[in-house]
Amino acid sequence: MTNLSEKSAVPASMELTFEVEQFLYKEARLLDTEEFHAWLDILTEDIHYWMPYRYQRYRKNHVEPTVNHMAYYNDDMHNLKRRVLRNDTGTCWSEDPATRSSHVISNIEVEHTDNPDEYTVYSLTTVNRNMNEDEEHLMVGHRTDVLRRVDGQLKLAKRKIILDQNIFMNKSLNVFL
Amino acid sequence: MSNDTDYHQFIDNEEGWVDRRIFWEEEIYERELKQIFAKSWQFIAHDSMIPNANDFYTTYMGEDGVIGARQKDGSVRVFLNSCPHRGNKFCFADEGNARSFICNYHGWSFGIDGKLGALANEHVYDEGDIDKEKWSPKQARVETYKGLIFATFDPEAPSLDEWLGDFRWYLDMMFDNDGETEFIDGGIKSYVNANWKFGVENFIGDAYHALWNHDSGLKAMNNGEGFGPAVTENSYHASVNGHGWEFGTDGYADVVIGGSEKWLNYVRDIIKPKIKDKYGELRSNIFGSLASVSLFPNISFLPGIQTFRVWLPRGPKKLELRVFTIVNKNMPEEIKQEINNACMMTFNPAGVLEMDDGENWEGNTQVNKGFLTRQEKLHYGCGITREIEHEELPGIIYKGQFNDANQRHFYTRWADLMNADSWNDVPTRYTPRHTKTSK
Repeated sequence: MTNLSEKSAVPASMELTFEVEQFLYKEARLLDTEEFHAWLDILTEDIHYWMPYRYQRYRKNHVEPTVNHMAYYNDDMHNLKRRVLRNDTGTCWSEDPATRSSHVISNIEVEHTDNPDEYTVYSLTTVNRNMNEDEEHLMVGHRTDVLRRVDGQLKLAKRKIILDQNIFMNKSLNVFL
Repeated sequence: MSNDTDYHQFIDNEEGWVDRRIFWEEEIYERELKQIFAKSWQFIAHDSMIPNANDFYTTYMGEDGVIGARQKDGSVRVFLNSCPHRGNKFCFADEGNARSFICNYHGWSFGIDGKLGALANEHVYDEGDIDKEKWSPKQARVETYKGLIFATFDPEAPSLDEWLGDFRWYLDMMFDNDGETEFIDGGIKSYVNANWKFGVENFIGDAYHALWNHDSGLKAMNNGEGFGPAVTENSYHASVNGHGWEFGTDGYADVVIGGSEKWLNYVRDIIKPKIKDKYGELRSNIFGSLASVSLFPNISFLPGIQTFRVWLPRGPKKLELRVFTIVNKNMPEEIKQEINNACMMTFNPAGVLEMDDGENWEGNTQVNKGFLTRQEKLHYGCGITREIEHEELPGIIYKGQFNDANQRHFYTRWADLMNADSWNDVPTRYTPRHTKTSK
């Protein structure tokens, strides 16, 4: 565990917590409604969107994943734009008919950091994905975000997602978590 | 299906079709576990996944759970992950390092060599109750080829060299182009509700689907530009013992898909010249072209994209996909990471190409719940008259990588093994140029 610096030990105000919650809910809505360009707009240019692989190991063999390991996502802005471009090509057959997804964001905690413009935000994302005729999948991930205030507005600068699933239970991860 | 079923009835290489029931019927699947997965050489791990003594990795051969473990002398043992007492798995980790495994149920312990050791409260057993040598988990035969660890439970199976045969002529382009290879740490595992053969046959020869199905994925990776037109000249299908490699002989299509200029330059400046020096011009031209490969029965990889995967059967209607990234050991760290990121962007469950594949294979499989639907045949006739002799390329060669040839030969090998009572019944259907066969 990292030592909390003095600043991060100061509890986030209700006002800040409310602002962060609203940001995450809005983000969830943009993803549910497939407004991916608007979603890209609320990310910082130096975004790191990361969901490392997961293996089951004995406790004594624990390994903390790094960005040099395998990952579901290890994206910068360039790669996130590529994913959005795929949906825009008009030939993305597997997304037509469209996937239906609901992001439920909960367990939100906000912490100050040493940088007055950045906050560490913990949350739980629970995504229900329904697609094709009748396929329903549930994905639950623990998110650790860094939100940065840019020109007065919050933006997502970093996201790390740890999925509960050891074997990813579905054929595709076609939604952002 | 009775034991005297002729499994060649499910495929027809004259008319070019495959019977859909092989993707659905439980009886056929059970026969596959016995005839394909209990006999074939299967991928266990890459050497780099278990480099040190006592390192282990757990996987499956068919539906038989196994542990692959590095021994103190550097060799690898592969044995069943099931306690001979009441049967429980005795290792529940995907990988790790352990001097021994201890079954949770009664505390029977097993060495890293798989042999039964001390029992918890051993004094409740009388002298002569148990012969520990005899009651140790079943061990597989293990052989390696250029860093790839294979195992089979069949003592009668031909050697791995003979099993791979002249396919090694092709494999060396990938696994020995500039020294040893290694896997990037970690791996992604996922379930697809599809028959395992649909993944294998896609990689074995289906260049055709890429142009249509992966148009959006390639455009995403390649600045909005899709594949060029399907060129049927100077490209081939090559099949050896049911393994298959489809490929072009120029261009960088499989490198371009990764969208990394640094990796593209590395292939042009380092990899291709090395292959040319070592193996000649033709193979240097093949590497990096639009290509895909499967090894019978359930291993696939993409040279240039560098994804390596196994398709583990989970019943006739479900598979577990395990995905890895393969690089050369001596590559600069920066290039390894370029490759890993490119590989992950394109070929894992979140990859912009892979996302489209699973959809197809699930559809291919699940429609067969319709009784009438599964009585209909599937067409495998593309390029059926294009077989040629090639002066350099070993194996069964067809002109034009847009072809169903490798798929047809995969299913022929499948039927050969499904029928065989012994290895003497399994024909060698190509003319070996570089391999001695025992028959």
